[in-house]
Amino acid sequence: MSLTVAPPYPYHGPEELENLILGALRKVVDPEVALNIVDVGLVYGVFVSAERLHAQITMTSVACPVTDVILEDVCTALESVVPESLAIDVELVWEPPWSPGRMSDKAKAFMGW
Amino acid sequence: MEPRTHERQGQGLHGLVGKRTQAPMSRAPMSTNWSYRVPLRLLFAIPVIGAVLVAIAGGLFRAGVQWVGTPPPSWLGAAVSHHAFLMIGVFMGTVIGIERAVAVRHVAAYTAPVGSGMAGMSLLGGHLEAALWLAAAGSVAFVLVNIVVVIRQRAPHTALLLVAALAWAAASLLHLAGWHTGAVIPLWFCLLVLTIAAERLEMTRLMRRRKGAAALLYSLVATLMASAVATGFWPIAGGIAYGAALAGLAVWLLVGDIARRTVRAQGLSRYMALCLLSGYLWLLLAGLAWSAMSAGWIAFRDTALHALALGFVFSMMLGHAPVILPAIARVKVLFSWVFYVPLALLHLSLAWRLFAGQFHAQALATGAIGNALALALFAATMVGGALAWRIRFSSPTASSRHGPPSH
Repeated sequence: MSLTVAPPYPYHGPEELENLILGALRKVVDPEVALNIVDVGLVYGVFVSAERLHAQITMTSVACPVTDVILEDVCTALESVVPESLAIDVELVWEPPWSPGRMSDKAKAFMGW
Repeated sequence: MEPRTHERQGQGLHGLVGKRTQAPMSRAPMSTNWSYRVPLRLLFAIPVIGAVLVAIAGGLFRAGVQWVGTPPPSWLGAAVSHHAFLMIGVFMGTVIGIERAVAVRHVAAYTAPVGSGMAGMSLLGGHLEAALWLAAAGSVAFVLVNIVVVIRQRAPHTALLLVAALAWAAASLLHLAGWHTGAVIPLWFCLLVLTIAAERLEMTRLMRRRKGAAALLYSLVATLMASAVATGFWPIAGGIAYGAALAGLAVWLLVGDIARRTVRAQGLSRYMALCLLSGYLWLLLAGLAWSAMSAGWIAFRDTALHALALGFVFSMMLGHAPVILPAIARVKVLFSWVFYVPLALLHLSLAWRLFAGQFHAQALATGAIGNALALALFAATMVGGALAWRIRFSSPTASSRHGPPSH
């Protein structure tokens, strides 16, 4: 029996990939904050068509030097769960700007909110 | 929106949480232009490593360590006379410049580290005047890079990064002109302290900020900058205020930084948090010592300068290098408990140097040797971490995800 949990970001695509993608993204951790990118609220959306997976990711700062590393991690994490036939496109977006309101309850609890 | 995208690649290099993949190249085109950027960044290794090694040699000599065996090399004189310039204006300035250029993602942003890197090579080549001009040009270019950052994201932490860049430019121009040179070292340190403070300010957005915390930080930054400049005119009053501002910043960071939370995590996150928190304690000591030194207790000079440079700044560097190196050089590093060894040696040798060194000149020298060994050990640990990663994940069948676990 699988437990379905709606991802905290817009998702359009096959239902069978929804939880797999969410689980993969939760494995991408920013060591600076000791939280995964889903809980920090850096995932703005995942859209899966027949040929392509398009993920939109933001960062908390434009001056973040590890942006490329995190985007690569996202790409690698997604690769591990989606069919090989699917091209993966991870896009860095800045609008709307990230704010603490995007953090999950778990992340807020960890940070003492 | 950022137009560039990351797509599936044949074999990507990832950070601390990724895994090596062996997907066929045909699955998607390679969209990034690391092919030329990474070798370009690695070229900076020559001036960066050269500057830090020479600066360390100069620092050891200043601490009383004698050159034994062969006659001292010709560059040692410049290393001794320009220790702070090499360490801050060249080594750290170039590293910060590369880090910012990587974030800005524009080749023109590398003008700043090119200038500061070449400044070091010019100095060691015996061309002091050219070195000062290059350092000034590099620091002014760095201001322009940070203006771009502010335009892209108008936020308190990006504004603070710009203030840090302005401090560096002011220091470089005063150093070049030879005017009010008493302000040069405080302004150089402003580059480091405010860059770190800006990055931590960004992180504090993840925590519920105390009422008045932002206003307090801005007043501390204003005091720090004003007192750094004032030190060039009124060394006593300026220095006392500068030390007080450093100590105030340390308290602000100790109270408000997310490291107090992330220290409860495990692995790399906890290590980074411990580097930060221990660094803040050294920053507090440095601030108090800086005020005492400026008030006339000259015996605290080494504590003021090196609790700040080694205890605070290098702690930050040791903490962040395992994350920054993969970003800059595309070399993955496997974190382990071994990273705590150079960190502990750095703190213990610094404590020995600054406390026992107050009473015995030999303790200062042995402490300085311990500091240098800690940095060498850290470099070896990084190399070992990179090799460990390659060994562990070199097999195409290796599939276990490795990285800093979440809390």
